[in-house]
Amino acid sequence: MYRYRQLKMLFLYLLLPFVLTGCWSSKEIEDLGMYTGMAIDIGQPAPVEKEFEMKGAEYSKHNKVMTTIQIVPMKTVRTKDKSNTGTNKPYLNVSGSGDSILEIFRQFSVRLDQPIIGHHLKVIVISSKLLRKQTIEQVTDFVLRDNDIRPSTKVYISQGEAKETLESSERNEVPSFHIAGMYRNQMRTSKVLDSVTLSKLDALMKTKKSFVLQNLVSGGGEIEFSGAGIIKGSSGHWIGNLNQEDAECLAWMTNNGKAGTIKAYDWDNQPLAYEIKSMKSKITPFVNEGKISFKVNLAVEGRLIETWNKNNIPSTNYYAEKTSQIVEEKLTQMIQRLMKKLQSTYKVDVAGFGQRLAIVYPSVWKQVKEDWDETFSRSEVNFTYDIKLTDFGSFTEKE
Amino acid sequence: MFTRTDDKITTSQAAVFLTNTVLGAGILTMPRSITQEMRTPDSWLTILVGGFIVMLTILLMVKLSQQFPGQTVFQYAGRIAGRLPSLLLCLLLVVYFILVAGFEIRSLAEVTLFFLLEGTPIWAVIIPFIWAGTYLVLGGINSIARVFQIVFPITILVLLVSFGFSLRLFDFNNLRPVLGSGVLPVLHGLKSSVLVYTGSEVVMTLVAFMQHPQQAVKAMIGGIAIPFALYFLTIVFVIGGLSIDSVINSTWPTIDLIRSFEITGFFVERLEFPLMVIWLMQMFCNFCSFFFQASLGISQLFKFSVTPVIYGMVPVIFLAAMVPNSIQDVFALGDAIGSMGLALFLMLPVLLSFIWILRKKGLKQHV
Repeated sequence: MYRYRQLKMLFLYLLLPFVLTGCWSSKEIEDLGMYTGMAIDIGQPAPVEKEFEMKGAEYSKHNKVMTTIQIVPMKTVRTKDKSNTGTNKPYLNVSGSGDSILEIFRQFSVRLDQPIIGHHLKVIVISSKLLRKQTIEQVTDFVLRDNDIRPSTKVYISQGEAKETLESSERNEVPSFHIAGMYRNQMRTSKVLDSVTLSKLDALMKTKKSFVLQNLVSGGGEIEFSGAGIIKGSSGHWIGNLNQEDAECLAWMTNNGKAGTIKAYDWDNQPLAYEIKSMKSKITPFVNEGKISFKVNLAVEGRLIETWNKNNIPSTNYYAEKTSQIVEEKLTQMIQRLMKKLQSTYKVDVAGFGQRLAIVYPSVWKQVKEDWDETFSRSEVNFTYDIKLTDFGSFTEKE
Repeated sequence: MFTRTDDKITTSQAAVFLTNTVLGAGILTMPRSITQEMRTPDSWLTILVGGFIVMLTILLMVKLSQQFPGQTVFQYAGRIAGRLPSLLLCLLLVVYFILVAGFEIRSLAEVTLFFLLEGTPIWAVIIPFIWAGTYLVLGGINSIARVFQIVFPITILVLLVSFGFSLRLFDFNNLRPVLGSGVLPVLHGLKSSVLVYTGSEVVMTLVAFMQHPQQAVKAMIGGIAIPFALYFLTIVFVIGGLSIDSVINSTWPTIDLIRSFEITGFFVERLEFPLMVIWLMQMFCNFCSFFFQASLGISQLFKFSVTPVIYGMVPVIFLAAMVPNSIQDVFALGDAIGSMGLALFLMLPVLLSFIWILRKKGLKQHV
């Protein structure tokens, strides 16, 4: 009996090592190449690729897109003398071209010493030039299907080459993290639009509605959010850009932004800055005998925060009123410029007018939704403004 | 080993037992399956209406079971409808339980392999779960109920925390317009919304195990109210966060919602991993419940001792889990199970009650 029990215990002990093996398919994180940024450009062989191909290292493909990934952290060989750090960057950008993003990725695997892994992808930048040739559905299909890449990845559009936005002159900075962090400035200015994540993009593409993506411009090793690129829903192509002020107005109108400044010129033609404290927009659709029109009310509250006028502006209701009027004129101008672009230049609804109509008049929406961008560009949109000046900053001046 | 007939559970244990039987992998795919049927954001309405229908059926099942104290459906069905027809019906129920057990464990494996353990062979995920389940089921209903009681608050807490954080994506406009296409889509989605409550059939065995069967109505309605509320929350949060256009094609919409945001600075940046790992426990509970019901059915129908039946069930469940070749097959099986469940769910209690009332009231027989 005792022997039998001992044997049983021995058998159990022998089983123990099996529980200690840990994760079946574990991979050491040090051995993986994590990419945090990805740029998709118009197809042309990357310089290295050209050389490879000249030497006969090639595979069958059409160069329709060029994909660049940013791998971090780049293993930097520590040089002995600390004074000469050289130009070691904390990241490595690798480019490849082809007509399947996954194939390009697998092609990186015959060039790099680490398998690449997409769990930590933060930003995708797509060049607007590419989106003129290819639809956004085509170039994002892989990233949406993949199980490593998270739907929280942010998507941007670039005016120039997308891969340039993943380069930085700042030595210790990873550009993709920089771009991913820039949305934090949304509390300061509405020129920083709500970031479009992959899951949002997925929904937008499915509905065939037109939408905007924040536009990135690079120059001198720095990048800037500059307005937004418009993607036409029906075609999936990029059709044009909105400038920074248009983007700001768009954010205000869609209730997605409530920050920023409005700079206008006062009665003496001196600059005057109005800091927005709150911004509320209400879009009301009307359907009258089949004619669709909209009324937009913008309720703004803010303060006078800067003036270059030599004659101080007294803190009185009269001047508050007068300043508000100047701000209102300026805002009207900005909004009208945006509406002209949306309704006549590009003929797209990216400001959610369609959604409002769908909510209030679902049956009307069903009739017009197929050709909504066209219908919208013919619809009448009226604006009313409700501008309040709450204070003059920390100055109170007598008349 | 306990003698099974003496093995009783308390009222709250019975409620949690029902909750954990209903709540399983369904919560991960439910927003898609309902939205695909409806194509409007009104799915939350469907969940509410479907839930009330389910509650009525449960009420009927409880009332029927209370007429036969201490007996499960496998025992009393014979007394109502005669040995042979009831045997057929009950066998159908057993097959259904086996299929659901296999389906649950397969969904568990699929979601784990896709998001967590890419590269692990599927059997290496399924077999340990079946073994652990066997061990639990051998302990009888009391052990199962206790495990359920421990797991339940943890899984619900993690789910609710994940949903809470997803509020940053929530856009009320995604849920509008309400009834924009009329009531028709709501009725259309009703079938798939009743499907997510599959598993409620266990009420007909559960009441027999209750220490205080007179509290069965309270326990069972309470037990179904929790999944009812959670399904409602899930559909509101998932559709509000992702919009129907994204949900409609997403394989695991609930996980996609959690994957759509990162919480920088929180002690876990990505909530899908805790959610999935914890939800595995929930799916395990779910699986064990069906495993137990199926074994119980066979043992009571054929008067076998329950232990060999449980061991015999292991390969059967493994096969049931491995039958689908691909994820499309898994979902097709899920749909088939749903329709089968719908038939059993409505047919069994309604049919049995009808015959019982007919014999008792109409023919004045002593049943």
